[in-house]
Amino acid sequence: MKLEWHRKIKDLLDTAVYIKDIKGEKFFNISSLIEEISQVYENFYQYDSKFIENFILQTENRLNSILEEGEKSLTPYEIVKITRHPQRFTLQDILENVYDSYMELGGEEELNIDPAIVCAKAMIVRKVGNDLYFHQVMVIGHEKGHGEEFRQGGSAKPWGNEKALRYMKMAETEGIPIHFFIFTPGAYPIEDYPGAAQQIARNLYYMAKLKVPTVAFISEGGSGGAEAIGLADMRLMAEKGYYSVISPEGAAAIEAKLKEGRPPRELVEKCAKALKLTAKDNLEFGTIDRIISEPPLGARRKDYEFFRKLKFELIRATDEVVLQTRSLKFLRKYALSKQDTEDFKFYVNWDLDEDEKEILIENRYKKYKKMAQWAVCEPKSTFKTFINFSHNLSLKFKNEIKYKILKAGHRSFKKFIDELTTESSLLFKPVSDPVKTVYNLIVGKKVKTKLPAPTLTEEEISPYTSPLALEDRTVTCPEAEKYGCPDIWVPDLYGEFCGVCPNCGYHFPLEYKWYLNNIFDKNSVRTFNDNIASGNPLEFEGYAERLKAARKRTGLKSALLSFEAKIGGISLVAVMLVGEFRQGTVGVAEGEKFIRAIELAKITRRPFLALVHTTGGIRIHEGTLGLIQMPRCTMAVRDYVDAGGLYIVVYDNNSYAGPVASFLGSAPYQFALKSTRLGFAGPRVIRETTGQDVPPDYHSAKNALKRGHIQGIWDRRELRKKLFTALLTMGGKNLYYR
Amino acid sequence: MKERVLIANRGEIALRIMEACKDLGIDYVVVYTKEDQDSLHVRLAEKKYRISDYKDMNDLLAVADEAKCTAIHPGYGFLSENYRFARRVVKRGRPLIFIGPSWEAIRDLGNKLFLKKLAKDLGIPVIPGTTEPIYNEIEAELKAEELYESLNSEGINNPSLLVKAVAGGGGMGIAEVKDLEELRPTFRKIKAYAKRLFGDEGIIIEAKIPTLQHIEVQILGSKHGEYVHFGTRNCTIQSISKQKRIEIAPGFNKESKYAFDCREAEANIINYSLKLAKYFKYDSVGTWEWLITPEGKYFLMEVNTRIQVENEISAKISFVKNKQVNLIKEQIRVAFGEKLKYSQEDITFKGVSIELRLIAEDTQRGFLPLSGTITRFKWTPKPWLTVRTHVPQDQPYTIPTQFDPNLALAIIYGNNFEEAKKRSLEFLNDIIIEGYTPKGEKLVTNIEFLKEKLEQLYQFVGS
Amino acid sequence: MKIEYQNLNLMLQKFKANPYKIYPVLTPHTGYIKEFKVKEGDTVRGPSGKWLEKPGSPLFVLEREKNQKIIRAKINGIVQNLRTDLLNKFVEAEETILEIKHPLSQKEIISEILLSALYIIKAPETARYILSPALASRLEKQGLGKVKVKKGEEVLIMTFMKRETPIYFSEDGNFVLYYIYFTPFQLVERDQPLLGFCQEENLPYLQKIIERIKEEWSDF
Repeated sequence: MKLEWHRKIKDLLDTAVYIKDIKGEKFFNISSLIEEISQVYENFYQYDSKFIENFILQTENRLNSILEEGEKSLTPYEIVKITRHPQRFTLQDILENVYDSYMELGGEEELNIDPAIVCAKAMIVRKVGNDLYFHQVMVIGHEKGHGEEFRQGGSAKPWGNEKALRYMKMAETEGIPIHFFIFTPGAYPIEDYPGAAQQIARNLYYMAKLKVPTVAFISEGGSGGAEAIGLADMRLMAEKGYYSVISPEGAAAIEAKLKEGRPPRELVEKCAKALKLTAKDNLEFGTIDRIISEPPLGARRKDYEFFRKLKFELIRATDEVVLQTRSLKFLRKYALSKQDTEDFKFYVNWDLDEDEKEILIENRYKKYKKMAQWAVCEPKSTFKTFINFSHNLSLKFKNEIKYKILKAGHRSFKKFIDELTTESSLLFKPVSDPVKTVYNLIVGKKVKTKLPAPTLTEEEISPYTSPLALEDRTVTCPEAEKYGCPDIWVPDLYGEFCGVCPNCGYHFPLEYKWYLNNIFDKNSVRTFNDNIASGNPLEFEGYAERLKAARKRTGLKSALLSFEAKIGGISLVAVMLVGEFRQGTVGVAEGEKFIRAIELAKITRRPFLALVHTTGGIRIHEGTLGLIQMPRCTMAVRDYVDAGGLYIVVYDNNSYAGPVASFLGSAPYQFALKSTRLGFAGPRVIRETTGQDVPPDYHSAKNALKRGHIQGIWDRRELRKKLFTALLTMGGKNLYYR
Repeated sequence: MKERVLIANRGEIALRIMEACKDLGIDYVVVYTKEDQDSLHVRLAEKKYRISDYKDMNDLLAVADEAKCTAIHPGYGFLSENYRFARRVVKRGRPLIFIGPSWEAIRDLGNKLFLKKLAKDLGIPVIPGTTEPIYNEIEAELKAEELYESLNSEGINNPSLLVKAVAGGGGMGIAEVKDLEELRPTFRKIKAYAKRLFGDEGIIIEAKIPTLQHIEVQILGSKHGEYVHFGTRNCTIQSISKQKRIEIAPGFNKESKYAFDCREAEANIINYSLKLAKYFKYDSVGTWEWLITPEGKYFLMEVNTRIQVENEISAKISFVKNKQVNLIKEQIRVAFGEKLKYSQEDITFKGVSIELRLIAEDTQRGFLPLSGTITRFKWTPKPWLTVRTHVPQDQPYTIPTQFDPNLALAIIYGNNFEEAKKRSLEFLNDIIIEGYTPKGEKLVTNIEFLKEKLEQLYQFVGS
Repeated sequence: MKIEYQNLNLMLQKFKANPYKIYPVLTPHTGYIKEFKVKEGDTVRGPSGKWLEKPGSPLFVLEREKNQKIIRAKINGIVQNLRTDLLNKFVEAEETILEIKHPLSQKEIISEILLSALYIIKAPETARYILSPALASRLEKQGLGKVKVKKGEEVLIMTFMKRETPIYFSEDGNFVLYYIYFTPFQLVERDQPLLGFCQEENLPYLQKIIERIKEEWSDF
């Protein structure tokens, strides 16, 4: 009994310390209470049983009431602290308490390719009446560890996310659902192969069409790291969890424009509030589906009641995903039935047949397409919407007929011809030449072998003078020290030299309009969806004014331009992320415009080009509404590429973070201009996260090529030519890939 | 306001421009780099500025502003044919007069492909070949075949072709193809080379003109639509890297025998040159370079949109209203917008003039340029002799290593070719150039080479 | 061996008496001196950081064609002979604006002393130099002090008057390449040292000299 009491006092002490950590030393005098409990704990054997018993009872009551009070005044930043607290439950606790048995795959503890990611085959048991049903699931999640250094606090390394992807594929092969558990402050921001950004992009691209039901549970949903295993059919979130585009500290550092050091505490708390990162906020935004309630001040390692609830919710969520692919009637019945944590009324088989798998993927696509669409700011005009809708529909119909029905036959015939001609030319090579000569003799003229092909001429580009060029002065090339470049006259540099140092090839930054005017055929650029505007859905304090300023300065309504254009006569659909508008960050408007553009490319069967003038990542002022543009847009990319689209991305300047880790990084063909700095996180974030300095050329295009992120490095002076060749080389006959 | 010219060059041309300015009563300012501080052009100038590099336009313009210059004379070499420099000079906040043609003329006439296309359109003969850059092998082979056949049909049997990098020049990025079978590998080789060296893979294919004479036409135009020529020059004698060593004016030796009517050929190339000059409203001195085959076929090769090293031999044989002409003075005059005040009828030609380029080079070892110190430099003055040099005769002179080791130009006049030749040899036997290399060896020059070439002159021409 | 212990002592004494080298800072080109960023006696530093990514201390601002260029220190030391009279004046190219009195480091002392201990190939011309490809690849494999060279072997390539000229090793005996004094592709003045060679049998002795210098000279 004594031993039990001793342990009990230890628990009380832990709780008290926990309260102090979350609510601060002064909260209900918690510090003195801690001292009191420690006193008793350390001098345990000096007190008699009566005192101890009484002490425990009293303290417990007191702590409970403090917890209740603490819960009442809980702030968003305190929630962040709860989520990060070493006493909070981790994936390990879930594996032990929610699942009935499990086997960790691909590593144990420290002997692991990445201890921050745990993959396990697990059994979850459903009780229906007196029967027990066993479901096998794949569990993939972050392990924060209870103070275990090697877990990196659940920051997955690129190869950790690669491991996650491998086991997703295994689950798909075996046809078992996946339960994702997100406990990450963010991905470990290093570029070593396979690269933080690219691996997240690959994961998203694959998850978009994963053929098994997926359920995600979020406790700590840190930005891109969370998305890497977060594109699920059902997203559950812990009541005391946070799900955010960036850590409050990171947001504060950006808001304070800090290059080094820590941002002030008040600003961090303010950002935590402004980011709307709580479960309640996210449910309101529609970025999650359901909240799993927790005890006051959050569930900790020993809150078995919570685990029971979590188990029930996981099974229920999986059931619902499965049922949505089957019968609506049964789903409704299931939803209406009163089920509790102990007992299920129904058994649902989680195996899907082929049709159901298709519906599953379709449902997923619809779900993400709809997500956050409410936040799109677009002037509503029913008439126009109707016109657009019917126009798209007819376009779709026309192209369906043209390509799906006719092309199939045509294509196979073409293939036959091709085979025939290649074979015959192989066979008859020695013979055909004299034939040609004889032909020449008779006709007296050469057989024209050249096919009429699209060609590129310089005169087709509109004459454009960059406003930067209108100054009579010179500038120094930043590489002058190294290569001895002479100073460059500004009108030459921003005119004829395309902003490139003629001596060393250094690329100076140029305004986005330069690209629009120098890549595409004269007068061929037609923008659309210009009225979709970036808004302030979080009502982030002070952001509306800055947004207004950006709109005024650029004359744009969002950071993404979508347009149709031609290169050497080849028609294509393109988007461009514009650096001048909020550093080319991506939010709801940009994501929506991207999706609409790529869908237009799909139905009109044209190549799709994404030009990245600059992107600073997901716009933090739009919180998770911005963040979910990562899965949203990646799904659209997957859909387009699977339909046979040719998707090319060209990066320039700074291309970082979310967009690179999703809809840009998942492109099959990515190229970078020489001046590109490409990666997941900038040097400051890397230093903060890893404690390491990175070399100045860490994010250079050269290194990106070396790491296999891009397919080639282009010179800006040759951009038009290179794009034209790329379109011709990679596009098929109709310039549509495959 | 009095004009003031910035002389953006070094060596003997800087001296000649200084002299021309003085004659015209115009102020001038010279620039020099550290290596050139002992050079004559620096010693003789009153106003001078040390700059980092003759090719640094920023330094030149900064000095021009500081010294309140109104015009820039680029001389030859360095920035003289850089249209961007010419453009900047006239377009900058404080514009200056560029003593040379318009920047558009420099750009377009300096672009060999453009020139070729344009000449073809105007009906001016150019070396048969492609006028657009070729990027792929199949197209190259087709074009080569076409060219081969058309040359055959013109009676040239088994013609050789040249595969040239568009961006190349001066013997770089060029290869001969004797057999069409070799074309593809050669094309691939040159293309790879061009990509590596110039970053531009464009290739053209041309007929190779085997033995030839290199004749050029001296043109002068003004801003008032006046165009005259100062006859022709023969520049066939060159070093192995195609640098001129001896030039003769006029370009055809009327006393020698040709397989064709040389007067007619000369008249034709002059007329074609003027035609192109007029088309461009060319308003400065310029040289139209032609290749002449032994059969008398001629092709326009390139246009030099600047004053030439050898301009003075044309001046020596040309008389405007019976007075000697100075082409550098004419160039400066027209740049300031003056009228010529004479027409072609006022220009008469008399005598023969030869230019010899004296260079510290080892002609036995592939024209290897030499550095070193000149200790003795002396010649006997003659009425028929003009020596142009920046090398001082009163003190030792160290040849800078950044430039070509040109020492002097000797311009010799005679009433006819034989006399000019005799006098040239006389001069070469008289002149003393002594010096030593950094290793302490005796410094060699190309005097022997010049003598040898002079002896052979016109022995082979026209035979 | 050209160097005796006694000589070595003398040389060390000389360096100790004046452990500095003066580096003049010249204008790279013409322009106006707009501002001095240092005062007489200021301490400046050259480029630093793990990748030399942090630029040297700013010295002065030179403006030409409306381009203000900050001229920075390329080496650590103390500013002296600052030409403050040139402020707001037009200066020509290669004008000395100030000097940096640079305290010699151990490494620099060693290289200076080795200059008189080694067989040195000097630059025959003011030109740009690179190691011959064969020597460069051997050097990469074996490292300094290990690569043997023979008489008549091509060791350097000089780029001069737009041409490339090979330079051959001309001494009899077993020599190894011990020190490289030049930076590839940079202009080297005539008679400046390019490469230092040591006879193989003298290697241990040379090692002793270096140990001795290291003993006598610690960086401060």
